[in-house]
Amino acid sequence: MSIRLQLLIVALTTLILPWAGCQYARELETALRVSQENALEASADTMAHALSAQSERVFRDVDDIEPFAASLGDLYVFPLHSPPLLDGYREDWGVAEDPKPLPTSTGYAARLQAGFTERYLFLYMEVDDPHFVAEPADVHPEIDRFDRVDLTLQQPDGSLESYFFATSAPGLIEAQTVIQGDDGVAHAATEPRIQAYWLQTSRGYHLEVRLPLSLVGSRLWIQALQGAGGGRAGFVGAEPLRGGRLFMATPGLDELLATFIRPGTRATVIDANGLKLGVAGTLNSIASDEGVGASGTWYRRFVTVDTSQWPLQVSSPERVTGRSVETALAGQPAAEWLRTASSQELLLSAAAPIMLGGQARGAVVLEQAGDQLLELRDQALTHLFNLTLLATALAVMVAFGVATFISVRIGRLRAAADSAVSNDGRIRLDMPESARADEIGALSRGFERLLARLNEHTQYLRTLGGKLAHELRTPLTIVRSSLDNLESEGVRADQRGYLTRAREGISRLQSILSALGAAARVEESIKQAERVNFDLNELLHSAVAGYRDAFSSRRIELDTPPDACTLRGAPDLIVQLLDKLIENAVDFCPVAGTITVRLRRSGSNYELAVINDGPPIPTALLDRLFESLFEHRQGQDDKPHFGLGLYIVRLIAEFHGGKALAANRPDGNGAVFTVILPLI
Amino acid sequence: MKKHIAIVEDEPALRENYAAALARHGYGVKTYGNRKVAMQAFSTHLPDLAIIDISLEDEAEGGFDLCRDLRALSAELPIIFLTARDSELDAVSGLRLGADDFLTKDVSLPHLAARVAALFRRIDALRRPDHASDVVRRGALSIDGEKMQTTWNGTPVTLSLTEFWIVHALARHPGHVKNRQQLMDAANVVLDDNTITSHIKRVRRKFQQVDAAFDAIQTVYGMGYRWVE
Repeated sequence: MSIRLQLLIVALTTLILPWAGCQYARELETALRVSQENALEASADTMAHALSAQSERVFRDVDDIEPFAASLGDLYVFPLHSPPLLDGYREDWGVAEDPKPLPTSTGYAARLQAGFTERYLFLYMEVDDPHFVAEPADVHPEIDRFDRVDLTLQQPDGSLESYFFATSAPGLIEAQTVIQGDDGVAHAATEPRIQAYWLQTSRGYHLEVRLPLSLVGSRLWIQALQGAGGGRAGFVGAEPLRGGRLFMATPGLDELLATFIRPGTRATVIDANGLKLGVAGTLNSIASDEGVGASGTWYRRFVTVDTSQWPLQVSSPERVTGRSVETALAGQPAAEWLRTASSQELLLSAAAPIMLGGQARGAVVLEQAGDQLLELRDQALTHLFNLTLLATALAVMVAFGVATFISVRIGRLRAAADSAVSNDGRIRLDMPESARADEIGALSRGFERLLARLNEHTQYLRTLGGKLAHELRTPLTIVRSSLDNLESEGVRADQRGYLTRAREGISRLQSILSALGAAARVEESIKQAERVNFDLNELLHSAVAGYRDAFSSRRIELDTPPDACTLRGAPDLIVQLLDKLIENAVDFCPVAGTITVRLRRSGSNYELAVINDGPPIPTALLDRLFESLFEHRQGQDDKPHFGLGLYIVRLIAEFHGGKALAANRPDGNGAVFTVILPLI
Repeated sequence: MKKHIAIVEDEPALRENYAAALARHGYGVKTYGNRKVAMQAFSTHLPDLAIIDISLEDEAEGGFDLCRDLRALSAELPIIFLTARDSELDAVSGLRLGADDFLTKDVSLPHLAARVAALFRRIDALRRPDHASDVVRRGALSIDGEKMQTTWNGTPVTLSLTEFWIVHALARHPGHVKNRQQLMDAANVVLDDNTITSHIKRVRRKFQQVDAAFDAIQTVYGMGYRWVE
C-alpha cells in the first residue's frame, strides 16, 4: 500500500467525528425529549390537580360514574364551533366523525349524530328508507302509520317529554307532541321551539333537529319508525331510566383550560370514558420548513432517532386514546411520543388523571408538537455535520498533500539510490533531499554516508591491485634474487628440482601481480597516451595475423570494410583493447570454434565487434561486465582473473570517446562484444 | 683492475643479494642504505658504477637527488636505476637525470650482471677511441656495438642501455619483425608489454629529436616491431 493510500485512510478516520457528533446529538435529543416529557407530564399533573379541586366545573354531573354505554343509547354530543344551518346536511357541523348506526332488530338502518352549540342541541339522523310515507293531514299519531322519528327527552327537571318528527312534505318542520283530544283520540300538537329539517334523499331521508339546551336534561332517546312496514331503529325512553345519557363538553371548561395552557400546547380534558370534555389551545406545528428539511434530510437517516416505530396518534373528534391516556385513567400520569397519521410530525402527549375520591374520574391530556425539538436538533446536526465534513475534507486534503509530498521525495530518493551506482560502477555521492532536517533528509544523509563508505571501499579495491602489485614486488625480488644467487653458488643436481619449482612459483606470482596491476598500468598509459591518425583496418589486419599465430586452436576471422578506416586515437591502446577482447573471446570459445573480428561503419561511428562461439552470457550480467573487478567466470583455469580485462576495454573505449557493449548472439550460441568508436 | 660498484638500496636483503651476485662476478661492491651515507662515501671516493634505488628510506625520490649529485661529481660515471617503481614518469625522469639505464627490480641477477658488464665494456671502449669496433650501418643509422653508441646521420642519439639493445636488435635484421619477447631477451630484461611499448616510444622520440622525419621503427600490431630502411 502506498504512503498516499495509508495516509488517506488515516485521514478518513476523521469521519468518526461526525459519527461521534451524531451519537452525541442523538443522546442530547433523547435527553431533551425525556426532559420535555417530564415537563409536560408535570404540567398535566398540575393541571389535573387544579381541575380536581374544582370538579364541578369539569364534570356536568359529578356523581354520574356509570361508564359510557353506546349500546344503551348513551350519546356523545360533539361541540360545534358555529351553529349549523338547519338544512338536512351535516357538512357544516365540522365533525369529522360519521354518524353512528342505531341498534335495530328489524334491519331498519338509521344513523345518529349529536352536536351542540352554546344554546342549542343538534341531532342529525340518516334513515335508509326509500319508500316515503307522508304524515296524513289530520294525523292520529297512535293509529296512523307513516315515517316518523320519535324523541324522548328528559327535561332539566327530570320529567320525560316525548316528541315525534314527521312530515307530509319534506322541508323545515317542527316537532310534534301527542296530546289526548277531547274525543279520546290522540292528536298532534306542534312544539315550535324544536325545529327540524326533513330532507328526502334517494336512499331515504335526513333529519336535522335543533332544540334549545334549556329543554334538555341529561338523557335523550331517539327512534326511527318505518311507515311502510314495521321497521324500527333506536332507543325508547322508559322508566326505569337506562342509557340515553348525553355526554358532552362541559360548558365553560374550554375557557377554564385556556387559562392554564401555554401557547403551542393543546389541553384536552376527558372523562373516565376517554370522551372529550373540553379542549383548549392549538398545536403550532411547524410544518417542515423547506430549508431545514431539504438540506437536513439526506444525512438525517444516519443520525435520527427512528420514529417510525412510534405509535400513531389515533385521532378521533370525540375521544382521546392511547397508552398514556389509558395509564392516566388507571391513575398514573404518563407521557408518550406519537406520530400524527397525516404527516410525519411528532407529537408529545402527556396525560394525568383527575382524581376524585381516590378514583380517576377523568384525565388532562396535554399535547405539544415535537417539531420544535426536531428542528433544533436538525439545525445543530446540520452545523455539526457541515463543520466536521469540512474538517474531514480538509484533513483528507492535507493528508493527501503531505503524502504526495513525502512520496514524491521518497520516490526521488529511491530513484537516486537506484542510480547511485551506475552501470560502469561509478558511484554518485550526492543524494537529493539531504539538506532537509526531517527523517527523509536523515535517510538521504544516511545514504550519502553509506555511498561514501562504499565509494572508499570501491576506490580502495580499485587501487588495491596496483598497490599489491607494487608492494609485493620487493619481497618477490628478494626471493628471486636469492634464488639467482643460490643458483650461481651452485646447487647439487638433486636440489635443482626445488629451484626450478621455486622459479615457476615466482613466475606465476609475477603473472598474478602483473594481472592485478594491469588496470592501473592502463590508466597510467591512458594519461600519457598521444593521439594520432591511423588506419584501424590495417591495424586489425596486422593484429589478427598475430592472434592467429598465438591462438592457433581457434579460427579467427576478420571482416572489415575494403578501404582504410582512419581513426584518431592511440593505436597501442586499441591493440590492448583488442588483446583483451580476444583473450576474453578465446576463454569462452571452445577449441576449434570461431572468433570473428568485425569492423563496420555505422553512422558517425565505427563498430568494432568481437564475436565468439560459446555459451551465452546471463542477461542480468550483460550490463555489469565492463565494471571494474567484475568477474563472472565460473570455472577455474590456470590464469588469474580479476575482472579487469573488460574494464580495460571500457577504459580504452572511453578514452576514444566511445563505449563498450556486450550482448548475446541472436542464435544464443555465443557472445558479441562491441566497441563503438566515433569517427574523427 | 677491480671495478668498484656502489649499491644504494634501502632494502637490506635485496642489497645483500645484489652485492653477493656482483661480487661473484669479480666486482668490488660497497652497499649503502640511504642517500646521506652514500653521498658521504662518494664525496671521498667515486665508484666505477652506481646502482641506485629511487626511494630511499624516508626519501621517496632520494635516488633522483643522489643521481643528480653524482652526475655533478662525474659526467661519465655509469648510473643504473633499479627500482620497484615502473611508471613511465619515473623512467623518463631517471633517464633525463643522466642515468644510463633504468631497470625495474624484476630484472634477474644474471641480467643485471650482463648489464653491468656491458656498461664497463662501453667505458673501456670509449677510452680506446681508435679501436676498430663492431659498427652496424643501416642507412642513416650507425650503431657502435662496442661503445654502445648510436648516431643518426652522424648525430649521436643518446640511448639508455636497454634502448640501445632494443635498437640494436631491430636494426641488425631490418624488415624482420621482432616480437616483444625477442626484444626483451635482446635487452636482457623482463618487461611487460606496456613497458616495451613505452621503450619503443621513447626510442622513436629520441631519434625524432635528431630527425623529425624519423620513421624507421614500425609497429606491426599484434606481433611486434621491425626496422625499415
